[in-house]
Amino acid sequence: MSDCPLEPDVIHAAVRGEWTESLRAHVATCADCAAAAEIAPWMQQFARMDDREHKLPDPASLWVRAKLLQSTAAADRASLPITRVQIASYLVVAGCWAALLMWKWSALAAWINSLAPAHVILSAAGAETAASFSATFFLMLIVLASVTAVLAFQTILAEE
Amino acid sequence: MSASALTLEAPFAALGATTFRRMPKRPMDEAKFEAFYRKTAGRIWSYIYRMTGDAATADDLMQKTFFRFLRSNPAIADDDHLRHYVFKTATNLVFDHFRETKRARERVVEPLRMSDLGADRGELRHDMMRVFAELKPQERALLWLAHVEGSSHDEIAEAIGVKAKSVRVMLFRARKRLGDLLTRRGLAPEGTR
Repeated sequence: MSDCPLEPDVIHAAVRGEWTESLRAHVATCADCAAAAEIAPWMQQFARMDDREHKLPDPASLWVRAKLLQSTAAADRASLPITRVQIASYLVVAGCWAALLMWKWSALAAWINSLAPAHVILSAAGAETAASFSATFFLMLIVLASVTAVLAFQTILAEE
Repeated sequence: MSASALTLEAPFAALGATTFRRMPKRPMDEAKFEAFYRKTAGRIWSYIYRMTGDAATADDLMQKTFFRFLRSNPAIADDDHLRHYVFKTATNLVFDHFRETKRARERVVEPLRMSDLGADRGELRHDMMRVFAELKPQERALLWLAHVEGSSHDEIAEAIGVKAKSVRVMLFRARKRLGDLLTRRGLAPEGTR
């Protein structure tokens, strides 16, 4: 309990009031033991104050709750890589959309302009030609739209 | 309910190889936990309650202590070492609690309602709790572990996170402080020497 080998005996004597001459002599010269002896009876009484009115939780329920907490933690750990892949795929898809739009931006702008009523009339009169898109563009558009839809669907399912 | 095992990694390395003997990994099953809990929970609750002075907080922190204990998958065979580990965990949680709630309230004890107890017992407990609450949390932990749990200086050092060499001086000061408080309030036991 302490560096002084007699401290347990001193505490015991202080608590029980059973002092021997040698212990009294020791306490007079050992500051640690004197301090311990001074408070030992009080600490003993304080420790013995009855707490038994207080009902402790059932160990079985603690065990079950601990297991549940562990399962939740394990599930969180297991889903971490999936979440990371999901975030990466969002970024990749967003990047692909941005690249596609930038690649065909001028053609897209022309196509949007061609939807204006004035242009519709002009093109009907044969004065202007409509913007044209390559088959590759349409193919990429379809692929990207499909991937985006799948990702969105997967996210909704995962949330549920 | 089946006595299945909890099998996460044990953080016992932090406790020091000299203090805690490592045993082959053997997950604790429900029956062993229950036996250990029944032996230890009351003492842990009393310790936390004396430290915080609040029964509800003691309930909460005691449960957290055992959750942490189970999460650590205790692979130490000796019950004494397990008990010291639980006390260390409880001490950390109590200190964290004081840090989180940061206060002035650190020293204010909320004793049990008098209606819960017999009037005399309630008053006596109230007085004792008040005296103990005037000590710093670390002093309370030192005194409780040394005097009630009979922990060695090494064990106390592990529990409160200080060097073993410092414990002797800290314990001496805590004892003197409590002695002074008791003397000032006229509660010092007579005839101890």
